Amino acid sequence: MYGHSHYNQRSPEELLKLFSLDETDLESIRKLQAPLEERLDELVDNWYQWLKNLPEHEEFFTDPKLLEHVQKMQIKFWKIFFKAEVNDDFINMRKRMGETHARIGLPMDSFFAGVDHWLSLFIDMMGELKLKPEEYSQTRRAINKFLHMDMTIIVLSYEQLINETIAAQSKSLMEMSTPVTQIWNGILLLPVVGIIDSKRAQDIMNATLAKISETQARSFILDISGVAVVDTAVANHLIKITKATRLMGCESTISGVSPAIAQTIVELGIDVGTIKTTSNMKDALASAFNKMGLEINEIHE
Amino acid sequence: MLEAEKMARNIGFDPANTIRIKTTVSELGRNILKYAEKGFVSLSHLVDGKKEGIGIEVIDKGPGIENIELAISDSYSTGGTLGLGLPGVKRMMDKFEIESIPGSGTRVYVVKWK
Ligand SMILES: Nc1ncnc2c1ncn2[C@@H]1O[C@H](COP(=O)(O)OP(=O)(O)OP(=O)(O)O)[C@@H](O)[C@H]1O
Ligand SMILES: [Mg+2]
Repeated sequence: MYGHSHYNQRSPEELLKLFSLDETDLESIRKLQAPLEERLDELVDNWYQWLKNLPEHEEFFTDPKLLEHVQKMQIKFWKIFFKAEVNDDFINMRKRMGETHARIGLPMDSFFAGVDHWLSLFIDMMGELKLKPEEYSQTRRAINKFLHMDMTIIVLSYEQLINETIAAQSKSLMEMSTPVTQIWNGILLLPVVGIIDSKRAQDIMNATLAKISETQARSFILDISGVAVVDTAVANHLIKITKATRLMGCESTISGVSPAIAQTIVELGIDVGTIKTTSNMKDALASAFNKMGLEINEIHE
Repeated sequence: MLEAEKMARNIGFDPANTIRIKTTVSELGRNILKYAEKGFVSLSHLVDGKKEGIGIEVIDKGPGIENIELAISDSYSTGGTLGLGLPGVKRMMDKFEIESIPGSGTRVYVVKWK
């Protein structure tokens, strides 16, 4: 199945519960809002100072316009972060961030390092605020949990986008591996190479039927000389494919049935019924041309 | 399956028998995947005097088979497929043993002589 993902988005309440964030935690984060806003420009400068020493800086932030944009977004984000309101909007905003990271290929390690550096800047800031020891540790713990929750949202959406990309790639790979080709008006050819399992058989079936309806083909040649093994399951799939094409008015021929394969098919006890088989593709082609009223002749000068 | 093909070639089986051996491993392997999920296949090179052959043992700890007589008869399938795997293997091989305990698993052992 394509596009399958195990990622079920948690609701805001579930996320808070998962990271044991309660109202006291959120309240203590909100208390930092005012001091943060005073210092935010300074903190951003400081953070970019740190970033300059990383190789990622070269790769992602050479365009000054882009850099400015990203900085603006960051300032906006931290202001929202310290409002400590976890709702759908917040989650969706962070999910989009994760998707952006995935799209630009930002490595996870630099992302984590970046968040960690922000955390140490916040801790330094808290040091300046002369909080009471209990309040200090409570707030510190709260910020920690909240940041981890935030990173979780980002990482999960990052992972989801990457998975979707992989699924899309394997789909196009599948399409390349079942190249049903019209080799002449009304004649389709598909050489199958490798292993035929249920999924591959289904792919072949889909690709073939689609091509038949597109081209109105009357003959379909399925060449199995490159198939690893023809066992009962493969034979069953082949039989189903030929039956389905016949229902669409297109006669299938299985070519590439070597003498040894023919013997095992018989020993397995498979009834190939009225399915046409040939040992080589040449015979299958000749018979398909014949059916179209065409003949292949050598040209004599 | 590739292992089986390699061993069959090394022992010197002809192409037709090599295909029978490969197909057997594939059938028994598919049954495990389909009915038992997990199990293992072991191949052995048999020598008996001047005779040489291959032994294929397939064991799983799946649900087992209630009625072996039925399972090895043509066209019997609880999986909605052709039901020719086990009887087909029996026809292709020289020796065919099957033991199964419902609820604890299945063992199939087959031999093909060169
Ligand atoms: N390893 C196993 N564990 C449990 N049941 C099995 C096992 N192997 C076979 N069976 C049972 O024996 C029946 C017959 O097996 P067999 O391989 O002959 O046919 P099939 O697998 O149903 O179809 P086919 O092999 O033709 O695709 C199966 O339908 C299943 O009920
Ligand atoms: Mg079977």
